[in-house]
Amino acid sequence: MFRLLIPIALLAAAILAIVGADRPTPRADFTFLNRSDVTTLDFQQMSWQQDNRVARIIAEGLVSNDIFSHDFSVLPAAAERWEISPDLRTYTFHLRDTGWSNGTPVRASDFLYAWMRALLPDVGADYINFVQHIKGGRAFSDWRTAAVADFSRQHAASPDPAAAQELWLQTKNKFNQLVSARAVNDRTIVIELERPTPYFLDIVGFVTFFPLCESVVRRYESLDPASGRIKWNPDWTKPPNFITNGPFFVESWRFKRDLRLRRNPYYWNQAAIGIDTISIPTVEDPVSAVMAFETGAVDWVSDVLAPFRTEMVAQKAAFYKEHRAEYESLKAQGLDPVEIDRRLPPDPRKNIHVFPAFGTYFWNFNCSRTLPDGRINPLADPRVRRALTLATDKHAIADGIRRVGENIAPALIPPGSIGQYQSPKGLGFNPDEARRLLAEAGYPGGKGFITLDLLITKDGGHELIAQTLAKDWQRILGINTTISVQEVKVFRERLKNKNYMISRASWFGDYGDPTTFLEINRTGDGNNDRAYSNPEFDALLDKAALESDPTARFRILEDAERLLVEQDLPLLPIFYYVNMYLFDASKLTGISSHPRGIQLLYRADLFNDGKGTDKPLSLPPRKPGEPES
Amino acid sequence: MLGLILRRLIQLPIILAVIYTLTLTLAWRIPGNPLENPEGRRPAPEVVAAMKAQYRLDSFWSFYWSYLDNASGIKFLRDTLSGRAAEQARAAEAAGLAPPARLVFDLGPSLQYRDQRVNDIIASALPVSMALGATAILIALVLGVVAGVAGAVKPNSFADFLTLAIALIGISLPTFVIGAALLLVFPVLLGWGRIPSWGRPVDLLLPAFTLSLPFAAYIARLTRLGMIEQLQSDYIRTARAKGLSETSVLFKHALKNAFLPVLSYLGPAAAYAMTGSFVVERVFVIPGMGQHFVNAVQNKDLFLIIGVVLIYASMLIIFNLIVDVLYRWADPRIE
Repeated sequence: MFRLLIPIALLAAAILAIVGADRPTPRADFTFLNRSDVTTLDFQQMSWQQDNRVARIIAEGLVSNDIFSHDFSVLPAAAERWEISPDLRTYTFHLRDTGWSNGTPVRASDFLYAWMRALLPDVGADYINFVQHIKGGRAFSDWRTAAVADFSRQHAASPDPAAAQELWLQTKNKFNQLVSARAVNDRTIVIELERPTPYFLDIVGFVTFFPLCESVVRRYESLDPASGRIKWNPDWTKPPNFITNGPFFVESWRFKRDLRLRRNPYYWNQAAIGIDTISIPTVEDPVSAVMAFETGAVDWVSDVLAPFRTEMVAQKAAFYKEHRAEYESLKAQGLDPVEIDRRLPPDPRKNIHVFPAFGTYFWNFNCSRTLPDGRINPLADPRVRRALTLATDKHAIADGIRRVGENIAPALIPPGSIGQYQSPKGLGFNPDEARRLLAEAGYPGGKGFITLDLLITKDGGHELIAQTLAKDWQRILGINTTISVQEVKVFRERLKNKNYMISRASWFGDYGDPTTFLEINRTGDGNNDRAYSNPEFDALLDKAALESDPTARFRILEDAERLLVEQDLPLLPIFYYVNMYLFDASKLTGISSHPRGIQLLYRADLFNDGKGTDKPLSLPPRKPGEPES
Repeated sequence: MLGLILRRLIQLPIILAVIYTLTLTLAWRIPGNPLENPEGRRPAPEVVAAMKAQYRLDSFWSFYWSYLDNASGIKFLRDTLSGRAAEQARAAEAAGLAPPARLVFDLGPSLQYRDQRVNDIIASALPVSMALGATAILIALVLGVVAGVAGAVKPNSFADFLTLAIALIGISLPTFVIGAALLLVFPVLLGWGRIPSWGRPVDLLLPAFTLSLPFAAYIARLTRLGMIEQLQSDYIRTARAKGLSETSVLFKHALKNAFLPVLSYLGPAAAYAMTGSFVVERVFVIPGMGQHFVNAVQNKDLFLIIGVVLIYASMLIIFNLIVDVLYRWADPRIE
């Protein structure tokens, strides 16, 4: 018997050793749960919201946004000022005196190094086309693609490190030659653009443009002698190697456990920071995320996805109802919803926050002339698409199925998200007009119409929405439908190959300009899953690109969106997404309710923690009569 | 005994090579592009082409051989023997670069977590799952054997039905229900324990208990069956006739033989428990292997899929070997 105890004791000791090696770190000043685990901390490769969110805490581009202003105005960041030429083609940025987290100064060349990296197809930047706004950017990428292909042909069988080194030097020279972004001196960058781009300031603040500490990051370059490609050894994003220029730096990254950030003492704007440490634990399960908040382990949950979130929203409505008089009077003052919640009495029910997001849920119509099986596609006729749209009861979906306070979407671009831009009215719910249009298209009462197939993915509640559409279209138009459920990867392939009739879809904007939603409908765009092509629409986008007056330009883009959502309907907008946050507004400030959805979490400040100014941050009150976003 | 161990260890790489071939063939057929996000923006075509070439995703055989070369340690050996590794290290140092990372068994990069190597992911996740799984198996052994013996002493008694009922609940209730209920009762309502449940030895109790239930139930049933059979055999009657105490009869004589089926079950069970449970790890927020099995397939993260499958296969083979060795030690009749 005793003999048996020895291995068990050894096993127990091993277990304790493993657990003990992973000791939890002490609570940070501010702890939050990101939507999901970060996939990469390489700014040039990022595209997920959770990655961008961390990037904006640890690094800073030339400019940033005022997240507590209604128009999300552009603010100086790593650049303290800039000049724009009258033809909107040349931008001159003057960098401020600020430091990397290792104490060395941020130089103009650090930005150019990062941008060159983004333009190399080898790096795999999802947003390579953002950097290709710079004149010569695309030419440089194309040159590199061809050069690497050449090299691979020559050296695939006989790897040659010296030749790979030579190609890399050549690439750096080519960048200086071709790309019109120059460091005039250590603190000045001059950029010439391919064409006038009125929203370039918004783009240059995007994470793909974030700088890298060249003197450190270049040490991780590694050349493949067989293909001539360059790779960065992934250790460069691991602390302590990871040097950044933002308000915080990465102190430790324990994969799938937590990411810990500490205040960067060399950052220029220390006054904006009210905390010293930030912790971002990994909690993938949506129910556990809510429970982690309930136990007080975290201060902010960025995306509440628990299945009972509809009840949480209903509870909050009940809370407002109980405090109706006070709530109404605060609301009448035009206060930001976060500020209203802060002033209302403490109650756990008020911790859920539903704010509009910068994204839209819609359904794609395949606009190709023929269907995948070769039949004529009735959806190629805009009248049919308009009829299907007019016969869709969006309220039944937003209020009956989703039930998290999303507004129905008559148009594509979320209202109030982009300064002075006004989306068109779009089409409402009008069964009579829908029937008339379908008859006009040659299918009275749905006679002779094909059976429509609705393509969806398994999770995310799309099936209920598909059933609602099917019911509406059957009842109003007499059209029969089937529903196909696919795995995400298969779904994406079928969309890409236009091998579908109608599918669920969504889009989130990347920058503060209507083109971030409209360009995906241009003929041949890589994200135009609808195969939609209307020369008139493309011409409007081209015309807007040449318009230098911002107001006139917005009017042209409004016309383009009107064409999309009132006439051609390549897509059927259903509702605008919301962000669902979980935090106690009377304990935490610094979370913006702006529909653009970008958070600068280094602004987070906990009340009465002995750090920071404890000044509540929120959008300024709207004057009476001003439209609500 | 030594022959058995040697034979199995020689078989191991051959079995792994076959499993690798099968897994890659299947995983390669998963539709979709691993370099593309499931939602939102598609990367530009030239970017996709460059990335595919970089990861050798453009040809099955090119991927097959290069992965085999890296993961089997052959490349490491070749580079070391030919002096190429030393040469590269010198060149890197001369150019002021960080020394290139060298792994004996290089399982490649993760396609979804681009800053991570599969080796690092497994190194950070496997010990966690093993600790959790081992604790769960220990708990399951104690619970299962006690319940099984209690049931066997008086078959069809109230105690027997009670253990049967509990065992049935343990097998049939999904762990995400038990896990969520335990979380709600202990950390949320009573304030005992924390979420994430990882980092302190006490934190291990709730998830290990949850994970142990199905195993405990199975062990209880196996023990009960074995005990009932043993308690009817002649040597037990002899032992009782000799006047041995009932405890001694039960635990020293009957259990020793009744335990053999449990032992053979323990091999695969331990491998299964220690390579991670997706649900338990997800609910209790434990950074183990379970999540990678599921997510890697969903994301078509080829390197990670093959990495976790090879690790699971190796553990299964090794645990079965340990069980076989223990078996011979416990039961000399087996040759």
